Amino acid sequence: MALKLSDVRTDLFNDWCPGCGDFGIEASLQMALTELGIDINRVVLFSGIGCHGKIVHWTNTFGIHTLHGRTLAFAQGAKLANPELEVVALGGDGDGYGIGAGHFVHAGRRNIDMTYIVHNNGVYGLTKGQASPTQRLGEQTKSLPQPNINNGINPIILALSAGYTFIARSYAFNTRHLKETIKKAIAHKGLALVDVLQPCPTYNDIETKAWYDGEDRRDASGRAVPRVYDVNMKGHDPLVSKEMDEDQVDKKIQHVFRLSKEWGDQIPIGIFYQEIGTPTFEDRISARIPSYLQNPPAKQIPPGTTKSTVELEKLSSELTVQANNV
Amino acid sequence: MSEKDSDAEITLRLGAAAGDGIQSAGEMIMKVLSRSGMHVTTYNGNQSLIRGGHVWFHVHASTKKIYSLGYGIDFLIPLTQLSYDQHFEKLNQGGAVIYDPVAVKIHDLDPKVMQISVPLADIALKYDKRPIMKNTVALGSLCAAIGVDINVLSKAIQDQFGRKEPAVAENNIKAAMDGYEMVKKQTRPLKNIQYNYSVRRPAMTADYALALGAVAAGCRFYAAYPMSPASPIVHWMASHAKKLGITVFLGEDEISVMNATIGASYAGARAMCATSGGGFALMQEAIGEAAMTETPVVVVDVMRAGPSTGLPTKTSQGDLNMMLGISQDDFPRVILAPRNPEESFYTAPRAFNLAERYQVPVIILLDFAIGDGGYSTVDNLNFAFEIDRGKLLSTPPPAYTNGYWFKRFAITDDNISPRSIPGTPDMMFVAKTDEHDEWGHDLSDVLAGLKEYLPIRRRMHEKRMKKLEEIKKEMKLPEIYGPSGADISIITWGSSSNAVREALHELHKKGVSVNSFEFSDIYPMQEDEVRKILSTAGIMVDVEVNYSAQFAKLLKREAGVEINNFFLKYDGEPIYPEEVEKHILATRKEVHAIA
Repeated sequence: MALKLSDVRTDLFNDWCPGCGDFGIEASLQMALTELGIDINRVVLFSGIGCHGKIVHWTNTFGIHTLHGRTLAFAQGAKLANPELEVVALGGDGDGYGIGAGHFVHAGRRNIDMTYIVHNNGVYGLTKGQASPTQRLGEQTKSLPQPNINNGINPIILALSAGYTFIARSYAFNTRHLKETIKKAIAHKGLALVDVLQPCPTYNDIETKAWYDGEDRRDASGRAVPRVYDVNMKGHDPLVSKEMDEDQVDKKIQHVFRLSKEWGDQIPIGIFYQEIGTPTFEDRISARIPSYLQNPPAKQIPPGTTKSTVELEKLSSELTVQANNV
Repeated sequence: MSEKDSDAEITLRLGAAAGDGIQSAGEMIMKVLSRSGMHVTTYNGNQSLIRGGHVWFHVHASTKKIYSLGYGIDFLIPLTQLSYDQHFEKLNQGGAVIYDPVAVKIHDLDPKVMQISVPLADIALKYDKRPIMKNTVALGSLCAAIGVDINVLSKAIQDQFGRKEPAVAENNIKAAMDGYEMVKKQTRPLKNIQYNYSVRRPAMTADYALALGAVAAGCRFYAAYPMSPASPIVHWMASHAKKLGITVFLGEDEISVMNATIGASYAGARAMCATSGGGFALMQEAIGEAAMTETPVVVVDVMRAGPSTGLPTKTSQGDLNMMLGISQDDFPRVILAPRNPEESFYTAPRAFNLAERYQVPVIILLDFAIGDGGYSTVDNLNFAFEIDRGKLLSTPPPAYTNGYWFKRFAITDDNISPRSIPGTPDMMFVAKTDEHDEWGHDLSDVLAGLKEYLPIRRRMHEKRMKKLEEIKKEMKLPEIYGPSGADISIITWGSSSNAVREALHELHKKGVSVNSFEFSDIYPMQEDEVRKILSTAGIMVDVEVNYSAQFAKLLKREAGVEINNFFLKYDGEPIYPEEVEKHILATRKEVHAIA
């Protein structure tokens, strides 16, 4: 039976601020899950601490609201324990690129088959609008007494250098684009990043919805000219495969780098980079432990087990007191 | 030495520079003794370097079951002058120093210690261009001095070098034989031990025993970040991963290690991680998360001397306070401190069962002395132990579901809620590090502080904390050694128990009225029973390896038992029985003086 949106949505009270970009991300994620038709018992959402984290309560799947910054670490442990789970981790820009930056980088080295969605609004919203790691140098959002003294990081390039095999950016209020991007991210075999540009109507008075939509820029007919554009519609092919030679890959990476630097009048969204054929961490474990996928850690000791299941005595003759054979 | 059962006991010490192969030589002589029917305990006095410096390997063997490092040194084998200078004062009368006069000048030696001079380097040079086999020659010499069958050493050498090209083992065996013959010509065996070659005992460190016990108990997810002295656990797990189906996760830091371990447990695996104090400090926030989300988890801290980086290769029992105070606010935890490798093996399944039965973090405290730094022989290990996954269910009880959501944090009579794992139909829930209601729904946002929700917060907090009352009933009371009603009672815990128990024998021979109370289950404490048991104690003496008597303070806090006499060691070395003996003799003197 096909899933309906109402199947993946809970009826709990939603307390995000009116106009929050989180609404767009929540709706897109829920639509993506509905359209993919995944068994929702198998889906687990992991969130960090910040406004984004509440999404797990409003989505009808297994979920865990973890610690600030630790979403990826927690989610990787769960996915490795049971690779059958469809793991979607969610974080904020402070959560994922600030306090959790170490985990963000090292997750790339493993390429575990899961999706990481970062709600990126340039501020620490839940703590009243301090500058987040993605806020640009010299910007001064509403709560800042002085312009931001730190440079903003570039999540696309950070992910690329860390080894993410799917790197995309979308925009919270382009739910059609975001939904499709999330679907592709989930379908991708390997670690997928979806960095989502998201207005914070309360604390980010620079990158507002009106700004992203280009309300301040009108064409001849008086229509707003959106700042956000789809790079894939403009011909950017994100695919990198094992068949490509080094020069082709280098050119692709240079182009991704250039795209990732665009900001202001032209803000690219879309799939920047997708690597096909890189073994996932699950593949790498399976190469060592052939039974891993059929019998992962979470399934080896099923509920109701009462006796030790490994005959370790056989491991080594050193383990038993025995007659000396000298 | 003459006062002891000298023919049933051997203590010996090899000393050299790091890189001289003293660890493998030590392990070989340990095997020689453990395969000759002896019970053996060792200590590896190493430093935080790869080459140079000074390292030593201490072995205590006995015909009776022992876990301590014994009394003094019967046989010293110093390969360097520094090794002689550092250790000769501990030589027992009737013992011997086996040395190469080219490398070591004997001085100030007790005339009742025999000097056995062997040209270790010259013999070694017969078999290799460099004198690297001098430690093997020394082992051969030692076998003659203690009167053990040289063939047992040959077999141990074969095992040690078996994987290399055959000439390596052959030459080492010849070198050992030369050393053996040379000493045999000089002296009769200095020990008259009836070795029982029909019995060989396995020897292991507590790290190794714990890994073994954990995997036997169903641990299939192990996470770690490298840190001495916990690293042997990850080495064991990684090398057995394939055979036993263990997923090993080498995290980027201890924060990721702890979170991934909780994640794996949340997903349904029996999961464990280990570290030492500094790494544990980084894990703390996540341990609070495990308690709040009621996710079972087993965490091992192999203590080393601190604070901060401290002495990475030296021992301590100084992390107890950290365990008692992990992370913010109150939450239940269990702290277990096995005393030796064998007990570590059996502690692992207990820890997993407690963690799952009560859905709490369980901490196992080991220390360098037994964890990484010392082997002990163990009896036959019983692998047939019970696994209890507690209230982990695959179908929801009707009272705990509304069709698809599962009341994961339901308040029950015993304060333990039924639990499900992701992927289980009709048992969906959200686990939450914020305060939550019985369904896991948030209490921290729009409901926090509202008068109708205050009782729910109170009840959820109480539900978690009250699990301690049930856990207490499963905590073991201290093991008592020696006569009841003794004048002096030694209170000790964890690995310090080993030296205390050995000292009791000598003290009893000297007619001292003393007993001991060894704690291995530390927290939660059955305060009433502990108070009752200790009310029978004499003058209490607290023995532990930290500056501030952390366990004695816990006893006071929990059971109201006050101790005023302490033997506290914090120089990085483990406690030796003679130190306990000396302290107790001094205490007796004081007591008599007052009386």
